[in-house]
Amino acid sequence: MNLTVNGLAREVESGPLTPLLRVLRDELGVHSPKVGCEQGGCGACTVVVDGAPRRSCLLPVGGLEGAEISTVEGLGTPDDLGVVQQAFTHHYAAQCGFCTSGMMMAAQAYVDGGGTDDREAIQEALAGHVCRCTGYVKIVDAVAAVARGDSFDLTVTAASAGMTSGGDLQ
Amino acid sequence: MKAVGARLPRYDGVAHVTGRTVFVDDVRVPGTLTVKALRSPVHHAGISVDTSPAEQMKGVHAVVTHADVPLNVYGHLSGLGIPGDEPLLAEDDVRYKGQPIAIVAAEDEDTANEAVAAIKLDLDERPALFDLRKAFDPDAPKIHHWGNWYPHFENEMDRRQIRKGDIAWAFDHADVIVEGVYRPAAIEHVPLETQVCQVVPEPSGRLTIYSCTQALYFSMGVVAAHLQVPLNKLKLVGGTVGGGFGGKVDTATETMCSLAALKSGRPVKWRWTREEEFLCSSTRAPWHMEIADAVTKDGWILGRKMLTLHDAGAYARFSPYGLTKHSFHHTGAYTIPNLEFDGYVVFTNRVPTTAMRGFGVTSVSFATETHMSRIANVLGLDPIEIRLKNANRIGDTSPNGIVYSDPSTVATIQTIAEAIGHELPAAYRTTTSAKREGEWLPEHLVAQLGNPEDH
Repeated sequence: MNLTVNGLAREVESGPLTPLLRVLRDELGVHSPKVGCEQGGCGACTVVVDGAPRRSCLLPVGGLEGAEISTVEGLGTPDDLGVVQQAFTHHYAAQCGFCTSGMMMAAQAYVDGGGTDDREAIQEALAGHVCRCTGYVKIVDAVAAVARGDSFDLTVTAASAGMTSGGDLQ
Repeated sequence: MKAVGARLPRYDGVAHVTGRTVFVDDVRVPGTLTVKALRSPVHHAGISVDTSPAEQMKGVHAVVTHADVPLNVYGHLSGLGIPGDEPLLAEDDVRYKGQPIAIVAAEDEDTANEAVAAIKLDLDERPALFDLRKAFDPDAPKIHHWGNWYPHFENEMDRRQIRKGDIAWAFDHADVIVEGVYRPAAIEHVPLETQVCQVVPEPSGRLTIYSCTQALYFSMGVVAAHLQVPLNKLKLVGGTVGGGFGGKVDTATETMCSLAALKSGRPVKWRWTREEEFLCSSTRAPWHMEIADAVTKDGWILGRKMLTLHDAGAYARFSPYGLTKHSFHHTGAYTIPNLEFDGYVVFTNRVPTTAMRGFGVTSVSFATETHMSRIANVLGLDPIEIRLKNANRIGDTSPNGIVYSDPSTVATIQTIAEAIGHELPAAYRTTTSAKREGEWLPEHLVAQLGNPEDH
């Protein structure tokens, strides 16, 4: 069967009941969606399927013939970050990073769908995405900033902060 | 202090937001076998195991039991000279539900699960103990070969004990005795990344171990001890942790995966399911804390008697260390000159407990702060003022005799009072952490502070 993953046509050999998460990670080498619970309970595996955020761990690949799949790998690169990636960086919304891919894909679908910076609406859009590090505040800040159309200054470096190197905290 | 308040780049921030951070489960090595474990289905039992049905299955490359472990029984505190108590893989007894008995390395996940199911396990189930308060009852289930509480504190004492000052004097001179019991429950850390490990046997004879541990060099020592190999046979790759919070301090997977890699000669990976993470991974401990304080009508705490029971679960791991930290903090951020503390590390049939965000101290902070407010309620005094009165000051001594050189308690409490709009009398608004004198130096502290070296 065939999928489009981040704009690339990919042929899939896994059986039809294989969860999309396993196809992406184990067959196609797309590692940003994470295995957190494989029960649809944590959100770490979320990818965008034909414009909608979906739990890839619960999605049998057999029903996805011809679908367009977007993952974090398609949002941007280190030298050319997408706006959601910029916002998560600027607002320190990623801590350990494990829930981040799923959070960002849900955020991307939210803003692409015309979501506003209303915090309750953002919380609703991210409901079911578990983060054990941040307490969620910075994540909601980041999504709200994208929805507002903020621009992000990512030029801050250790040197510009007055430190001689990343490790010099004297 | 250039970093404080500055916007600094996260060294791993861009990798996180581009999906390029390589967590252990993202490491891909061709030919990797899948590891699954046979775990105890009951809380407490004698066991006998027959792994031969699994060994004969097609696609199974290794079945590892205690018989394959060069040093099966080891303790997380063995490096400090404390005898080991926990088998890597269960031998004749299981003491908690989920305790690993055998592991299987197979071509794929389905085969590994089938092989685990094929292992014959006979159980002679025994009564289980879950309430740590009942561990001392004469008819309580016997959990551990050491007895129901840890016997190896200094001088082979069976408890962590602190004696400071003259506790009898304090209780003789108290206006009121304020008592309280505090019992925080176990908490699972729930990292989004479950326990996971990849081990690759190298042609050189070394093992490369990709680990999600929070304590890389500690884990290296634990693996080397169980395997009875020098450290230079192990290369650990780590530092990328998908959430730990203390739950990835214990060495959970690395040693067993190393044995499976050695026995099969193949790379292996073991990623716990979410169910395993909840049922079998270590938790924050349940605690039972009883406090009795000798206090004066005007809010000075003359003395504290405290009994702590720390639930270690089935094995000691780091619990004696956690209880020791707990004991050093059992007066909170306050100075109490006369102390009688007894703490026990108690064994139950729960999963072994471990660090979580302030190992041993979070529990006692909850108890001591709640107790401060309780004292204020009993005496009809202001809860902020009573804290400022007893707050640590320069020259005061901790329960374990450390002389405070720069305590921040007074300024912290004043800042909190201001932030919540809590009006304080001038004397409390302006008092500082300076060495005690005048009204901040009551008679009962004079003798103690005269010569802190005595404690």
